[in-house]
Amino acid sequence: MDDNGEEKLMAMARHIAKTLGHNESMADDIFQIFSNFDGRFSRDKLSEKISGAAGDDLRDSASLKQTLDYLERQVSQYVVADHPIWSDSVDSSAFLDSIDELIATIRDWNPMASADKSISACLVRAEDFMQQAMFRLEEEFRLLMERGCESFELARPYGNGESTGNVSLDSDDDDEEAIITNGEDHNQIPVAQPLTHYNILIDALPSGTINDLHEIAKRMVAAGFGKECSHVYSSCRREFLEESMSRLGMQKLSMEEVQRMPWQDLEDEIDKWIKAANVALRILFPSERRLCDRVFFGFSSAADLSFMEVCRGSMVQILNFADAVAIGSRSPERLFKLLDFFETLRDLMPDFESNFSDQYCLVLRNDAVAIWKRLGEAIRGIFMELQNLIRRDPAKAPVPRGGLHPITRYVMNYLRAACRSSQTLEQVFEENVKLIPSEDSSSSLSVQIAWIMELLESNLQMKSKIYGDSALCSLFMMNNGRYIVQKVNDSQLGSLLGDDWIRKHTAKIKQFQMSYQRSSWNKVLGILRADNGPAAPNVGGNSLSMKEKMMFFNSHFEETCKTQSHWIIFDEQLRKELRISLANLLLPAYVNFIRRFQNSPELGKRADKYIKYTLKDIEAHINVLFQGGSESAGSGK
Amino acid sequence: MPATDYQGLSASISRSILSLRRDQIHSMEPTHEASGHDLELEAFQRQVADRFLDLSSVGSDDLLSLSWIRKLLDSFLCCQEEFRVILFNNRSQVYKAPLDRLINDFFERSVKALDLCNAIRDGIEQIREWKKLIEIVLCALDNRRILGEGQFRRAKKALIDLALSMLDERESTAALAHRNRSFGRQNAASSRDHRNFGHFRSLSWSVSRSWSAARQLQAIGNNLAAPKANEIVATNGIAVAVYTMNSILLFVMWALVAAIPCQDRGLQVHFSIPRQFSWAVPILSLHERVLEESRKRDRRNACGLLREIYQMDKCTKALAEMADSVQFPLTEEKEAEVRLRVQELGKVCEVIKEALDPLERQVRDVFHRIVHSRTEGLDSLGRVNHND
Repeated sequence: MDDNGEEKLMAMARHIAKTLGHNESMADDIFQIFSNFDGRFSRDKLSEKISGAAGDDLRDSASLKQTLDYLERQVSQYVVADHPIWSDSVDSSAFLDSIDELIATIRDWNPMASADKSISACLVRAEDFMQQAMFRLEEEFRLLMERGCESFELARPYGNGESTGNVSLDSDDDDEEAIITNGEDHNQIPVAQPLTHYNILIDALPSGTINDLHEIAKRMVAAGFGKECSHVYSSCRREFLEESMSRLGMQKLSMEEVQRMPWQDLEDEIDKWIKAANVALRILFPSERRLCDRVFFGFSSAADLSFMEVCRGSMVQILNFADAVAIGSRSPERLFKLLDFFETLRDLMPDFESNFSDQYCLVLRNDAVAIWKRLGEAIRGIFMELQNLIRRDPAKAPVPRGGLHPITRYVMNYLRAACRSSQTLEQVFEENVKLIPSEDSSSSLSVQIAWIMELLESNLQMKSKIYGDSALCSLFMMNNGRYIVQKVNDSQLGSLLGDDWIRKHTAKIKQFQMSYQRSSWNKVLGILRADNGPAAPNVGGNSLSMKEKMMFFNSHFEETCKTQSHWIIFDEQLRKELRISLANLLLPAYVNFIRRFQNSPELGKRADKYIKYTLKDIEAHINVLFQGGSESAGSGK
Repeated sequence: MPATDYQGLSASISRSILSLRRDQIHSMEPTHEASGHDLELEAFQRQVADRFLDLSSVGSDDLLSLSWIRKLLDSFLCCQEEFRVILFNNRSQVYKAPLDRLINDFFERSVKALDLCNAIRDGIEQIREWKKLIEIVLCALDNRRILGEGQFRRAKKALIDLALSMLDERESTAALAHRNRSFGRQNAASSRDHRNFGHFRSLSWSVSRSWSAARQLQAIGNNLAAPKANEIVATNGIAVAVYTMNSILLFVMWALVAAIPCQDRGLQVHFSIPRQFSWAVPILSLHERVLEESRKRDRRNACGLLREIYQMDKCTKALAEMADSVQFPLTEEKEAEVRLRVQELGKVCEVIKEALDPLERQVRDVFHRIVHSRTEGLDSLGRVNHND
């Protein structure tokens, strides 16, 4: 019954076609409409009945010819259209339908072409207007891409309905961190809120346009014009992306320009780079990826290739700058900016990974990893340079009054600041260690820091040698050692260097204090403590009389106090401690001595005449020591 | 020379470093050490000369071909590696006056070469872009198909894009108008082509518009002079190795710029290498041959002297001419002619496809080697001064 029904339907269709179609081409068009309407009215079935008894070959080529005639009329009316076809959705879908049919027809008939000359001739004609249709499609594709961007640009100030994220585009706000601004003379420059996160994507084209593009791309790929399509696509998007990059403030700089650029300017460029790279890798590239995947949905290879072609230039620009910075000068002042740079690249690694992992982009991703490593190398280089600078810092004039040396202050504050990024630095130095295994259990950063401290100490020791006075030399070491320990104690350096290190260095300060006391006061103490017996120490080979000892003490004490009151201990606590220690050392010995002196038979009642300092005097003198002289008391810190 | 050569070389170098150290430990006589040093420098001169002799023995058909360029880069990498070892072995004196100035000067020049490497990489990308257009041509004029008007129109469009892209930047605007006239005459279908001209966009370079490969080359060659006798004596002969490496750097970069498209190419670099250096003759003769090539009538305006670009250009021009003049249906004779050209173009395309990726890797390698050797140099500079 089904067959019978279909038979009737066919007959009716043929009848309609013949009565309505005043000429052959109109009848053919009607057949075509039927066949579009329902699969059962395939042209084969309909034409079969028309041609009736004719031979198979003839029937085939005639039917092909009819189809092509129809399709050519359909296609060419659009090919020559002087307005954009996609401005009307009825036109565009009709055009696409004809192309689908043309593609199907060519595909179906192609196997028969070799056997049949007339079919082959028909196919040449089909290919011919297929090519024209494709050129037109390509042009429409390009128009859509360009118009899409334009319409989007106009719509921008009023918010972005297509965006999956919520980029707020508020023109009242005066925030400076606009991500995309026109930079031109428009009054309606949209200003974006400062970005706190980058998990947004932009749709550079309206959703409808993307669908249209996809429909076109599908046909162009199916007809073997995929390369052309990808070519148009990537040249349009590339331009868009490059413009975005330049709006982000990315300049095209050569390696040499970067090397020659003054550091301050380069710092600005690095700041721009950090912002631009974040926006590029977290917003622009993923958005391009998404657009590519949607336009070339179902053609992953075409999508990957197009994406690479769109992004390569911008990506190379980003990487080249990073490369240029990485091979630049290793001056220690650059550390902090380079750490920012390194951290940005590190944090972007997953984005490089997710955006650039397909077959075409792998090279770019590997480059990014290599450059990131090179930045780590540059940071290690800066530490090496710092070490060299410390090592080579010459001892010029001694710091007056045994105070703090500028290098101590510089290095300690530098390291303190550096240690705010200790985690990053650990990472930078771990990278290095993997290559050269060491038995040391401590982290490679703490080894580095400890090594720098050692260099600093030995440099200071070298500098202390230029003081003529060994007591002042010790005082200088005390001062600088104290500063070092203080700075280590109240920062991350403490946990890096460890308690042992701090204990050891506190002890070292004590040692310098002892050696100061030895060189300044041992002689006097010796005199004060000595008995009058034959084993008593002496000056100049002869044992001294009590009177001579008193005279010696008076003059030595006076002179020492006079000199050392100009010396300085910048740290109040240390100064106090040292004074107490001196008082504890001198006073009991002096009390004892005075007692013996007053009881001395050789002096008798004249003894008091020789006592210049009372205990209070001694204390008072000690209490004004190490203040750096009257003019600069307390200015040490 | 295959790419693996210089990797093998590094291994043999570490061996030679070891044996050299052993020599120094076992024999304390300074004469022994000195002769080892001299041998090392002589070997370097000889190897450089051998490599460039080999390179210059190339037939005129292979000069500036992709395979020859790759061989050139391999040679460069080998020389660079040997030079690095020389610096390493002589690190105690290399970074002190008067040698430190020469080394620093060498590093300065090599940083300039880095920009050229990047520009060449852009150029390789440019060739890739051309390759894509050629693939469209090949796809349109595919062997299996019957060649109809449609296929020719398609091929022609790709050929026009290609021709525009291959024109030097300087000429492109003027040429655009010219091409418009010569390609798009006859029929309505070509007027469609017309419309597409305006849309042609070439790849942009990764350097700023004012950057010039020619100037960069001149900067590398600036004040490059052979060391004087007293300099050679004062540096224990190492000044000669530095000069050798400087000259190789300049020549290799010059040859790359000659072969591969890049922004503002120019070959006016002064090569004045005294002929007593054993490697001078092959380098100068290569220089002369490349210059001759660049002066040939059909190469004068080429965007790169690379052999394959020339072949590509020749094939595509011939095809474009045919596409402009053919009548349909094609005569059998004409069709055979077209097919022959397509086949030829297909071959070039295949060569380009095979060689471009490895070439790009090599250029990157050159870049990295230069960076590495410079970094190593700067590090040693720091360390050596410590020992003062």
